[in-house]
Amino acid sequence: MTFRLTCPVCGKRDVYEFTFGGQERGPRPEQDGLSAEEHFRWTQFRLIPNEPQEEWWYHGQGCGVWFKTTRDPGTNREVK
Amino acid sequence: MTGYAGDTVASALYGAGVRIFGRSLKYHRPRGLYSMEGESANTFMSIDGIPNECAETTELRAGMAIAPQNVRGDPRRDRFGFLNAFDRLMPAGFYYHLFHRPQFLWPLFQSGLRRMAGTGVLDLQGDYGTGVRTERYLNADVVVVGGGPAGMAAALAAGESGLRVCLFERRRQLGGQMSWRVRDFEGEPLYRRAEALAARVRAAENVKVLTRSLATGVWGENLVTGFTVGTEDDPFRECHWECRARTVVVAAGCMDRPLVFNQNDRPGVMQVGTAWRLARTYGIRPGKSVAFSVADDLGLEAAIDLDDLGVRVRFIADARESGQQDRAVFQALSDRAIPFFPGCAVSRAVGRKRVRGCVLRSLKGRGSRRFHCDLLVANAGMQPRIGTLATANARLAYCAHTHGYQPTELPPGVFVAGSMTGLRDPRSIEASGRVAGYGAAVWCGDRAKSGARAAGRGPSLSPGRASRAAEAAVREAKALPGPPAGCGIIHAPAIGRGAKAFVDLDEDGTYKNVKESMARGLDVPELAKRFAGFGLGPGQYRVAGQNLAMIMADLRGDPVETAHATTVRPPLGAPSIATLAGPGHDVHKRTPLHAEQAARGAVFRRAGPWQRARHFGDDPSCRDEIRNVRTNVGILDSSPLGKFRIHGPDALKALQRVYISDMRKTRPGSCKYSAMCNDMGQLMDDGVVVNEGPDDYYFTTSSARAGATVEWFRFHTRHDGWDYNLVNLTDALGSLNIAGPNARRVLERVTGANVSNEAFPYLACRRITVGGGVEARCLRLGFVGELSFELHAPASCVPYLWDLLMEAGADFRVRPFGLEAQNCLRAEKGHVIIGTESEQRVTLTDIGMGWMWDRENTVSKKVGAPALRACERQPGRLKLVGLRVEEGAKAPRDGTLVVDGEKIVGYVCTTRSSETLGWQYGLALVHREHAFPGRRIHLCHEEKAGGRVTSTAFVISPHFYDPRGQRLRS
Ligand SMILES: [Zn+2]
Repeated sequence: MTFRLTCPVCGKRDVYEFTFGGQERGPRPEQDGLSAEEHFRWTQFRLIPNEPQEEWWYHGQGCGVWFKTTRDPGTNREVK
Repeated sequence: MTGYAGDTVASALYGAGVRIFGRSLKYHRPRGLYSMEGESANTFMSIDGIPNECAETTELRAGMAIAPQNVRGDPRRDRFGFLNAFDRLMPAGFYYHLFHRPQFLWPLFQSGLRRMAGTGVLDLQGDYGTGVRTERYLNADVVVVGGGPAGMAAALAAGESGLRVCLFERRRQLGGQMSWRVRDFEGEPLYRRAEALAARVRAAENVKVLTRSLATGVWGENLVTGFTVGTEDDPFRECHWECRARTVVVAAGCMDRPLVFNQNDRPGVMQVGTAWRLARTYGIRPGKSVAFSVADDLGLEAAIDLDDLGVRVRFIADARESGQQDRAVFQALSDRAIPFFPGCAVSRAVGRKRVRGCVLRSLKGRGSRRFHCDLLVANAGMQPRIGTLATANARLAYCAHTHGYQPTELPPGVFVAGSMTGLRDPRSIEASGRVAGYGAAVWCGDRAKSGARAAGRGPSLSPGRASRAAEAAVREAKALPGPPAGCGIIHAPAIGRGAKAFVDLDEDGTYKNVKESMARGLDVPELAKRFAGFGLGPGQYRVAGQNLAMIMADLRGDPVETAHATTVRPPLGAPSIATLAGPGHDVHKRTPLHAEQAARGAVFRRAGPWQRARHFGDDPSCRDEIRNVRTNVGILDSSPLGKFRIHGPDALKALQRVYISDMRKTRPGSCKYSAMCNDMGQLMDDGVVVNEGPDDYYFTTSSARAGATVEWFRFHTRHDGWDYNLVNLTDALGSLNIAGPNARRVLERVTGANVSNEAFPYLACRRITVGGGVEARCLRLGFVGELSFELHAPASCVPYLWDLLMEAGADFRVRPFGLEAQNCLRAEKGHVIIGTESEQRVTLTDIGMGWMWDRENTVSKKVGAPALRACERQPGRLKLVGLRVEEGAKAPRDGTLVVDGEKIVGYVCTTRSSETLGWQYGLALVHREHAFPGRRIHLCHEEKAGGRVTSTAFVISPHFYDPRGQRLRS
């Protein structure tokens, strides 16, 4: 598996410079009155779509920025 | 044995008269030189002690030690040859359904099978790592796979357009099949034409030519991998390539499609290219009397060429009834008195250890005739080498015109050219390469327009000119002959009962095995592959793939166009494992005190990215180092400790998010100890935070987490848009820890600052000047449980501080201590190390650190807080406890299990026999129902000789040493 990602700072780079941060699942839920189930749903449950999804990536071997990109896990390609 | 420069091991052996090269995997049948390109395992040998080296592709060097493998004794008289007679008992898939029951016998059979069917023996004492294994990473506009005429034409066209081109060619020379063809073409022999092209390619400035270099696959977004086998002039033995290409031109050419006939694996049966190259490339007479059974004009050309060289050609059979296109070849054929049999094919090879003759049959009628020959050149026509295209994810389908797999859809930026598209006319082949080369240029140009291209490397050919050149190349190609009709013969006649017609040489897969697989309902190649091993050997898809698909379609009664071949997987050839493993540099960081510690006899070991001193001198139990810290004073190099600064208006918010405590309580001049959890409430990191001014904090992390801290902070605040800066000072600052009852007295000698307990209490942080000029942060911490000061100073100054302290402490006999001593000291104190006393199943609360948690704070949305709440009262959790091992009982080790009857209820994380305490202590994680002081628990020890013994221990508080912390506050 290999593909490239577009870092907003550094441009297109090989995927091995990046760390995956998971799907975008919205901001951290409010903790007041948060049930255990809601918490674990937010932290643990993942959809596995066969269509482009919003994802977080970290450019650890580069500039150190977390960014969002839309990528199709079926083809491993970013979609604009 | 002797050979010539340029010989491969196989050609040299053949030249020396060797005809049997090895034994087959399953039946131990003698095997000869079938291909020249490493397409089967027939000629796998042990070369210089390395097993499974392919004699066909390994170039001969002086002094090589070459030995046959998978044989007992000499390959000509193999002891396991008798297996051949038991074919009946070894049906397809026999490893699976014959030997897998009864289960308990399987290991026995397996070891027996390994001996019988093994492929080479690894000498565990052997040195396989010799020679430089290197790796290179390239970027190119165009990668051309294949250095034949089409590949060279593509490289020239793309190079002319100003693109950076990289060409991979497996053989040592460019030219492909043109390099050994001598027929006259437009006034010169073909090989001359190839040489001229090759000279132009080598002269082209922006074309990088890699010969002896196999492209092993095309991966996502056109990343091409490959490897080069070095010659004596290269600085490496093998080099791994990863080439990020904007476009890929695949011009991988063709290979023989084997003719499936009875006894088609006998030594002396070979591919057209093998016989031809033996004669033309290596100057060896392949045989005295040769029979040809082919199905392609190239086969006819080869037969005529061998005849011209004085080899007696007994006959030429052509599986095609008609359709021979090449007029010149046909004319040459009729000029010679070689018997020509169209519509016929060889149905059987005669002879056991080598071919002595063959039987020729008409494909339609019943006639057959026997001939004497000592070489049988047989194929069912040519098949495209589709491996590269397949790994690039091109969609492939069987083409009923060329009778080979052809791409129906190419991935973005992938082009295909040359004889693999079915073309045979040399002009058409070159023209197709130009079409692909200019096509790649246009593709790159279009990208340039869309702005996706990096600046400053624009092609010298403008997109307009590139597309005009491409259009001209297409027009030129269209005017030339297209692909001739191929031959769709599926197998030779008469391969019924009793026949041994091999589809896959490596795995001894026969036509009969295909039928057996079908009879079990495994009627598509993907299933037959798993069941009977077709295409699982070193030759992979290459020899067997297309034939298997065609045969199975035929047996199902389906039209051959429906034949789906098995998936081709990279790598398409085998680099050595040592090459994949890489050069083996031990990349590590050294602390600023490496040399000072080495000078004092430090024994280093790897800890994360660092080389750290484990202990000093030759006592790994570190008794003296420990005693010295407990009773006197020691110095530890703690430089790998993570050191960070966070500042900015939202710095506190970020700290509140990732730390579990209330970080508003940090005060200038003092250290606040806290921890970070993950979303599951597990302990990820601990350290101290110092408030150094408005919105400005200094904090430490464990050495192991230093590399991940920035990522962690930014990840958990990624939605918030907070304004803070995080600076990693880990490498910029060194640190050393001076610890022990005499620590203050040593420190006083090197600083004017007041370090008394009143002015500088436990958990204080001060900036002090040491040694008359070095400004250092000084933190009063107590990880090892004694009075201690940690000095953080610029890395370049730390060696000076070390020398200073060593000198100042000389009368106290100050001495350095290492990681192991620190590990024992902190364990006696009950201080955890993350990953040693914590693990995936335990939360911060479980390891007794829940007191840090600021439970009331929900506003900061602390990472891990909801999980801590959810797990708090969960039954069945593991808890961290201290253990006191019963006097005289067997000492546990790190990892020893805690049991309750037959049930495992925990394990010992760290245990040592403590001189300080006078008894063996341990830190253990045990189920909560056992986790209360006074509980008697059982430790289970696995004996080396087998069996178990148990011993007992008592649960106590983990704070074994100085439980009230008086010493570190003294
Ligand atoms: Zn970046």
